[in-house]
Amino acid sequence: CKKELYQNPSTSKDISKFLSNQKETEEYIAAAYGNLQSPGLYGLYFPAFAEIPSDNTFDEVPSNDNAVYGQLDKFSTISSNDIVETTWRDAYQAIQKTNVVLSRIDQIDYSDAALRQSRKGEMMFIRALLYFNLVRLYGDVPLVTAETTDPNLLFGKGRQPVNEVYEQIKADLTAAIPLLPNVPAQPGRVIKTAAQGLLGKVYLTLRDYTNAKAQLSAVLNSGKHSLMSRPQDVFAVANENNNEILFAVQFTSGVNGNAEGSSMFQQYSPSATVTGAKGHNLPTLNLYNLYASNDLRKGVYVTLASTGSPFDNKLTAPTTIITDGPSDFVVLRYADVLLMLAETENELANTAAAAQYLNMIRTRAGLTGTAAVSQAGLRDAIALERRLELIGEGHRWFDLLRTGTALQVMNQYFRDNNIQITIDQHHLLMPVPQSQVNTDPSIKQNIGY
Amino acid sequence: QNISLSERNAPFEEVISKLKKQSGYVFWYESKLLKQAPAVSISIRNGSLKQALDILFKGQPLDYSIVDNTVVINKKTSRLNPLPAMLNISGKVRDEKGLPLPNVTITVKGTQKGTITDKNGSFNVAASQNDVLVFSSIGYKKLEVKVISQTEMNVVLEMDQSQLNDVVVIGYGKQSREKVTDAITTVKGSALNQYSGSNFAQQLAGKAAGVIINDASAQPGTDPQIVIRGIGTLTAGRSPLIVVDGFPLSEGSSLNSINPQDIASIDVLKDAASAAIYGSRAANGVILITSKKSSGDKVSVSLDVYSGLQERNDKHQYADAYQSAQFLTEARDWAYVSKDPNNRNISDDRSTRIGKGAGLRELRLNYLQPYLDHQPGLTNTDWSDEVFRTAPMSSYNLAVSGGSCKTNFYVSANYFKQDGIVIENGLECYSGTIKMESKLSRMFTFALSINPSLNKGRYFSNNANNSNDLVSDITISYPFFPVYNADGSLAISQQIKTNTPEDGALAENPVALAKKIKNNLNDTRVFGNTSLSFEPLAGLKFKTLLGADIRSNFYDYFRPSDIGAYRAAAPQPASAIETNGHVYNYITENTVNYTKSFGLHDFDVLAGYTFQSENGASTILTGSGIPDNKIDNIAGASAYTAISDRYQWSQISYLARLQYAYANKYLLSATLRRDGSSRFGENNKWGNFPSVTAGYILSREAFFPKNKVVTFAKLRASWGSAGNNQIGSYSSKALIGSASANGANDYNFNYVFGNTLSPGFAATTTANNNLTWETKTSTDIGIDLAFFEKLNLTADYYHSVTKNLLLNVPVPEQSGFTNSIQNIGKVSNHGFEFELSASNLKAGAFRLGFNANLATNENKVLALAPGQTQIIQGAKSNFVTKVGGPVAALYGYNITGIYKTQEQINNSPHLTGTLVGDYLVADTNGDGLVDSRDQVSYGTYNPKFTYGFGANIAFRQFELNLAFNGIQGRKIYDLGLATLDESGEGFALPSLYYFQNRYHPVNNPDGIYAQPNLGNYSSARRLTHAANLFYYSGDYLRLRSAQLAYNLPDALTSKMKISHIRVYVSANNLFTWTKFRGYNPDATSNSVLTDGLSNANYPVARSFIFGANVIF
Repeated sequence: CKKELYQNPSTSKDISKFLSNQKETEEYIAAAYGNLQSPGLYGLYFPAFAEIPSDNTFDEVPSNDNAVYGQLDKFSTISSNDIVETTWRDAYQAIQKTNVVLSRIDQIDYSDAALRQSRKGEMMFIRALLYFNLVRLYGDVPLVTAETTDPNLLFGKGRQPVNEVYEQIKADLTAAIPLLPNVPAQPGRVIKTAAQGLLGKVYLTLRDYTNAKAQLSAVLNSGKHSLMSRPQDVFAVANENNNEILFAVQFTSGVNGNAEGSSMFQQYSPSATVTGAKGHNLPTLNLYNLYASNDLRKGVYVTLASTGSPFDNKLTAPTTIITDGPSDFVVLRYADVLLMLAETENELANTAAAAQYLNMIRTRAGLTGTAAVSQAGLRDAIALERRLELIGEGHRWFDLLRTGTALQVMNQYFRDNNIQITIDQHHLLMPVPQSQVNTDPSIKQNIGY
Repeated sequence: QNISLSERNAPFEEVISKLKKQSGYVFWYESKLLKQAPAVSISIRNGSLKQALDILFKGQPLDYSIVDNTVVINKKTSRLNPLPAMLNISGKVRDEKGLPLPNVTITVKGTQKGTITDKNGSFNVAASQNDVLVFSSIGYKKLEVKVISQTEMNVVLEMDQSQLNDVVVIGYGKQSREKVTDAITTVKGSALNQYSGSNFAQQLAGKAAGVIINDASAQPGTDPQIVIRGIGTLTAGRSPLIVVDGFPLSEGSSLNSINPQDIASIDVLKDAASAAIYGSRAANGVILITSKKSSGDKVSVSLDVYSGLQERNDKHQYADAYQSAQFLTEARDWAYVSKDPNNRNISDDRSTRIGKGAGLRELRLNYLQPYLDHQPGLTNTDWSDEVFRTAPMSSYNLAVSGGSCKTNFYVSANYFKQDGIVIENGLECYSGTIKMESKLSRMFTFALSINPSLNKGRYFSNNANNSNDLVSDITISYPFFPVYNADGSLAISQQIKTNTPEDGALAENPVALAKKIKNNLNDTRVFGNTSLSFEPLAGLKFKTLLGADIRSNFYDYFRPSDIGAYRAAAPQPASAIETNGHVYNYITENTVNYTKSFGLHDFDVLAGYTFQSENGASTILTGSGIPDNKIDNIAGASAYTAISDRYQWSQISYLARLQYAYANKYLLSATLRRDGSSRFGENNKWGNFPSVTAGYILSREAFFPKNKVVTFAKLRASWGSAGNNQIGSYSSKALIGSASANGANDYNFNYVFGNTLSPGFAATTTANNNLTWETKTSTDIGIDLAFFEKLNLTADYYHSVTKNLLLNVPVPEQSGFTNSIQNIGKVSNHGFEFELSASNLKAGAFRLGFNANLATNENKVLALAPGQTQIIQGAKSNFVTKVGGPVAALYGYNITGIYKTQEQINNSPHLTGTLVGDYLVADTNGDGLVDSRDQVSYGTYNPKFTYGFGANIAFRQFELNLAFNGIQGRKIYDLGLATLDESGEGFALPSLYYFQNRYHPVNNPDGIYAQPNLGNYSSARRLTHAANLFYYSGDYLRLRSAQLAYNLPDALTSKMKISHIRVYVSANNLFTWTKFRGYNPDATSNSVLTDGLSNANYPVARSFIFGANVIF
């Protein structure tokens, strides 16, 4: 009868008996990818977090949804802001999944050793990508790379300095590159060029231009990627995972009870254009007007709604359920790599090479080559081109931070547009989630919050 | 008085007659007796009467006695009749008023033989000469009558004001009140049923010291929260264990399936010592429910019917259309201007505003001008009036009982229907009881009890979700829109469409939500048990019990396409949800009980073994792709998702108890329970729960001064420990799941590579093999006093510490988890309790009774997780559970005024982002900054003290009963008021109070609430949602029930062949004195850590009832 005291769940699995074979490990890996679809990451908040504070986009109704988007727009973000909280939480939940797989996968029987290597590389890439986002948004962050056995052991550890986090990111990506395949076994899996491109971006952010150039050139020379011939082909749902894409978080409509689509389209459509539209993260009219009239991207990347509001047309409208958008979220693509190469070469004072990479993007947009010739002039031209080419993909705020222009550009923008805001150094980091400061006092808040 | 007699072989009667003459005494006898007596001889000179009688009666079969001047002659008793004759005694038992007393137990002293009086107070019992009949009934003094030769016995029982002879139900047994050494409060069924409702918990409010009933959502069918002696847990369940006739119900099972009219009494075990016998489930206290039994041999039929109306009775009030129009316009104007005061002007028209870059919420609502111009006769819908209504409630109860001397039964049927005071909402209960007890033989007794019920609820989720919860939807429903179109059809999505251009509140018509959405909840349940008792010797009893509780629930939800949702105008895709679930719970219980008295020692020993197990399963089906509304259930869908859940838990227990009394003065008892549970970690399956109590009845001591003031005094002390195991069935395991549990921001782990679905599974909880129950150890010291034999006072002091708290603690999220269930931390509770009662006091023709109780409670967190000093919860991070402080203290800013100029802001420390019209906040810590460190505690939902009092007054055929209950020292955070109605955001409707007290430089310059501001609503304003201004007092005093009854005179009823008729009018919650402006001063959330979080909680209704009770 005492047996009765040992009950096991019948509708869920127990980790002590899970992760014992390849199939279960693959399920755990799918969950790490699945976590990328979470609202705090590429399911909803990431592009808003990375663009609303910039001059690219704004929140149409700032007080809506508890003002979580509005606060980003007005630089009045409070530490209990749901975007701040959820992004942190979802990133660490995904990181933990990669930690679990990485700590156990070597003991799992895999039918194919190369497959196991690839999976390790995929997990390292995801971990590096998320730490890269965290460190850029919050600054110092807790660094955990081991499976959690007892969560109490994590109290009192505080946040690790930015440079330590970057060391981990570089280590993960460097280790991942040789493990990853050139061609994905399934669309959406991490490939070698994705890790190289991301590592290039990390080096660029750290202003290590030599290493950045090496990694970005490796992507260029891989022969795996090219620009699509027309802008409208890049984001077309029928054309997902095309040659231009290095890594995209996958979304699909009408699968798994309509739970694999994205709600971004609904949330980021101007109010009153579709059901439940919230007008969060709308491109400014200002930005729309920056596209030359002959720019092939105008009306394709960004277009005007019936209400006159510009909106991000890279997201395709769902056909049945409004929150079940079909568009993948592109994390890294070849156009970004080319523009990063242009920036790298320009900073290395190779202005001609820089202009050449920049013009590849301009040509595809139907524009003539850049008129800029000086290093400074090219710097501005590249920055502008990045805005026009990469709008809505979650780059602009990081670009401003990377190039050290955030304060100057934003304060000028506020003056030009009669917005009563001035930002200072502390606004360059987001607050640490209040819940984390509350839970563990060793997690200190960023200055100014 | 000198007697001189000399007789030889004279007839006895003759001699007695001579004696009578000489003595002058009266002799009283049956002449037949004397005639039969043998002849006597006597020779006495100047002797006493007694000497003469002694000589005469020597050897006679007769006895005499002298009373005053009378000599009574009787047959001599047993000494001469070694075989006493069996007498068949019948009679009637009445109370002091002469009314027949049913249910009086009559036992032959020292035996198991006996009977019960029927509804007419009549009884029939077989007894021998010299037997003593004991008449006992709850509330009456025990009476012993010696059987001499009577065959008819008419007895009057005196009311027992001391109540000390009441039987108190304790765990696995009973005890007389005077011997109880624990803290147990008993409430009689008759006192409960003065409040008309679907469950006993509502009826218990204010009736027992230390028992708080929070009617947090008064939606019909929703169980109130029961809190006994404070909160000793943080994240495990807080409900007490409920035991119905010995069957422990599983936690969270609905209280509505227990028909309140079947309840004879409720005993609340408050201290850990009395509860310890229930082991790992008893830390929150135990409520023992005893249901009614057969009332005698003859068949008795009782019919109870009542019917009445309920109405809203709260202070929540909104501004009307004209006021709202002004408010919304002020909010939009100031939003526009405050963004750039130098460049923008209130008089800018729409196109100018757009030209200057105004956002949607900085434009005036274009349709409000007629309201601003005060045109009469415009649409002015009071949505509160549309959503709330006066609603009927009725109950029909029929109980039949009876039996023979071997078998008796009680059968009842009840139909209860309560429409909600919210439209389209209500509850219907059908329930029954079958109880039977049969003496199979001298040694064996068999008992059976079955309680089937069906509850049908027309329900809505009172969760402040504006797409479903019509009460919260009122807040954002503007009065400018009609309920119905001119053609009488429901006006659908009018507000959504009209408000879209300026992004006003996009709410669907709440009346349409109520009328169009199907939301049915059906619960079917059967619980009951059978038992067999074997009593081989007097005092030794073996009992084996088998019980089961079988529940099934069915939830049917359909949302048609022709209704909108929050921010989404109709048509919307229709959706359907169906939930099917069942729970099987069964128990076996084997006990042996031995009672023995010798000399002055009384022993009662109990030992037992129980096994209980429960398994349950549920399937939630969600349907989509519904092409039309023709099929209004899940069958109409074309795509489905299913969520399936199954669980099982088991518990094995051993229990033992020793009760000992010496000379009825010194009382001692000790219990031990050992529980094993499947819910806990592999390393911690078993726990022991001991208790010891002692009592001392001082008033029985010789040294205790005999007086008429203090007629009874008992000191008590108890110590015991009990557990709380209310966590999920598999909380000790690290479970792998396919979705996160992040609440609103949930996501699933599946992924699509290309378009191919790949199932994802990952850990969602952390493992804890050491997980075990939380243990509450409590000490209780009490005193029971009776004054004048009528007035009873009970006073207790208790102190408890709960350790190994089952805490779902927030953990650092870099662990990959947000929470983890652990046994950490300690909470203490202490308080005083007083209960005072008296009954049957006489004042002329009036008979009076009263009762009063008062309880204090203070809790304190002694420890949390290692390194953890506080747990902060709530949307505004304002519920703080800190080491050294109480559970869930409300923290917030101290608002001291309003900033009326920019200079004022610039010259004082202020919250970041403060705008003109925002709140001035005190720098409470004086560090020159205003930030989160300036938040201070404003109290807790857990009240400082609670009280209740009541009285009953009877005059001739009339009776008046009053019962009050009160809460003092409670704070409530109403999220709806703080963030919507009184936030001044200009999104929701303003409460009338906010409207009248808002600050506006022109229209209301002395206002105390921040200036309406919609589009520029600052972060500072959001932070001040957690502030003193929004922490409302939740104190109240409520006239919980008032009842006036008339008992028809017997003379009248007997003509109708009816034994009793009682008619009454009553009112529930007739008055509530409170300052709380929200819907419900009992409002709270389900989580202990956010206790006092209120948000559009369903209000408690006031009701007026007319009823009658007829006994045939």
